[in-house]
Amino acid sequence: MLRKLAARSPWLYRINTGSCNGCDVELLTTACIPRYDVERLGCRYCGSPRHADIVLITGPLTVRLKDKVLRVWEEIPEPKVTVAVGICPVSGGVFRGGYSIAGPVDKYLPIDINVPGCPPRPQAIIEGVIKARDAWLARMGG
Amino acid sequence: MLDFLKILAGNVFKGPSTDGFPFTQAHTPRRFRGKVHLNPALCVGCTICRHVCAGGAIHIAERPDGSGYDYTLWHNTCALCGLCQHYCPTGALSTSGDWHNAHPQSEKYQWCERHFVPFLSCDGCGAPLRPLPPALTGRIYADNHVDAARLMRLCPRCRQIETAMHAREASHEAQSGS
Amino acid sequence: MNDIFPALFHMLVFPGGLFALVAGLFLKGLDRRVEARMQRRVGPPLWQPFLDIVKLALKQTVIPATAQRTAFLAAPVLGFAGMAVCAALIPVAGAYAGLPGLGDLLVLFYLLPLPAVALMVGGSASSSPFGALGFSREMCMMLAYEVPLLAVLLAVAMKVGAATGVGVEFSLSAVVGYQLAHGSLALDPVMWPALAAYLLFLPGTMGVPPFDVPEAETEVLEGPLLEYSGPALGFFHLASALKTMVVLGLGVAMFFPAPLPGGALVNVAWFLAKCAGLMLLTLTVVKAATGRFRVEQAFLFYLKYPAPLALLSLGLAWRGL
Repeated sequence: MLRKLAARSPWLYRINTGSCNGCDVELLTTACIPRYDVERLGCRYCGSPRHADIVLITGPLTVRLKDKVLRVWEEIPEPKVTVAVGICPVSGGVFRGGYSIAGPVDKYLPIDINVPGCPPRPQAIIEGVIKARDAWLARMGG
Repeated sequence: MLDFLKILAGNVFKGPSTDGFPFTQAHTPRRFRGKVHLNPALCVGCTICRHVCAGGAIHIAERPDGSGYDYTLWHNTCALCGLCQHYCPTGALSTSGDWHNAHPQSEKYQWCERHFVPFLSCDGCGAPLRPLPPALTGRIYADNHVDAARLMRLCPRCRQIETAMHAREASHEAQSGS
Repeated sequence: MNDIFPALFHMLVFPGGLFALVAGLFLKGLDRRVEARMQRRVGPPLWQPFLDIVKLALKQTVIPATAQRTAFLAAPVLGFAGMAVCAALIPVAGAYAGLPGLGDLLVLFYLLPLPAVALMVGGSASSSPFGALGFSREMCMMLAYEVPLLAVLLAVAMKVGAATGVGVEFSLSAVVGYQLAHGSLALDPVMWPALAAYLLFLPGTMGVPPFDVPEAETEVLEGPLLEYSGPALGFFHLASALKTMVVLGLGVAMFFPAPLPGGALVNVAWFLAKCAGLMLLTLTVVKAATGRFRVEQAFLFYLKYPAPLALLSLGLAWRGL
């Protein structure tokens, strides 16, 4: 019961692993454009990884950022759910096979939900967040 | 200077402009480029789609027994740029309005379009071939009085011979007529 | 002994503790909701802050390996406890007269910065460089906004004291009592500058834009709160909700306690309505309409406008006007 209540307050945290910023802008629109308003689901973008429940990863995971991303991801308290936003974290996307790309991200991190697209529509991201919330609830045991 | 108060009050008065999306259907623009679909009946295996694909999402592999080829389109690599649709000569590839992309990790490798496209054999020599779709042949041979449907069931080599025979017959007829 | 139990009741249930907590969280929810409406969004439900607290209570608390463990964990509780005591000192006109002998403006002045101090202690104990940055910014803001607050409190005390003939009247119950008898201070032109200064002080002390420099998540990653997670972070949020209630309640008690005819329940509702109105006016509208000051801009703002305004009122009250 408490867990069901808690699942209605998923706080989001973005990790940019070398993204072109396209997906980040789409993430921003979900919060800042009144039309999409992700806050009505109880979501909030927070500035600190310690406050996060749902991690949104964008970008193809460049070699330079790999260790830092893994470190930030480790900082996030359990239970957490990881969402890959855009084709880059899912498969490498248009950067796949580049000399500077260490990804895809699921080689190093357990991803729960994929939201492919280049970039995905804001609605698709919201759909991903809702799926992530269900996965989060399942992980909390509720 | 206090215009912002007017705007804020107006906003409260006008009410939210939020889409009901997660709870209702979202509007999809008519020309929205969503998931790409292949119509295997129209595909001729020219591989231009693989060549132009920005993300390298298209994989085409001929079967070793020569019975056809496997066409795979990975949605998780597709950048939705629409180049394949633009360059496809037969219109076999099309972007749909489907943007419901979110899926759990367990389905990651099922998130693709897989088709087996079989070869037909040439009526003349039996070589494997993919026929052009009728709509396209109709356009190519619009000014020629040839049996396009028969030509399209021939491999390029047999087609050359057929066309040459046809041209010789035509010139004989023209000489005897004059 | 007989005084202990009512005092405990006032601290733990009404108007401190539970009541202030629930009211404060609802006020926060209302704030978020109305802000969303001002931006033409739907916004979260009113009880969203409760859901956030429940969520935080169920999360894991991560303590950084290099942090000062005791101070790190004690800081949020310190801020929360300070505010819970504060909430019991605020009189609700027509329903609650304040704790006898305790409801003192000077006590409030000392207790009010506790959440900020807790933030600073927590931030510096977390051993994060962003925590330290947040610490210095919070410190800077505190120095700035405490000046007008002190001047406002002194002006009120001076005014009421001069009118009742005791010199300086620091008891909050007496301040409210004076206003019940002689009309609200908000209606007295001498106190208008002090009222304006107090209204400007509110967004600063609550850390809402444009004065959210210590917790600026885009600049210092939520500053002192950076390393907090789970229940410890929840305590900071609870303290913030209580503080909302306290500073708004203090404003209502100091300037416009006028009760409605009717029972205690009506007056509690009327008190909450006044608090909500004050919050929408000074926090929500400001938050929805502004960006963020740089730290020196915020600092200078407080010394340039609210401080002289409050001092003006103080001077006028001192001259016995």
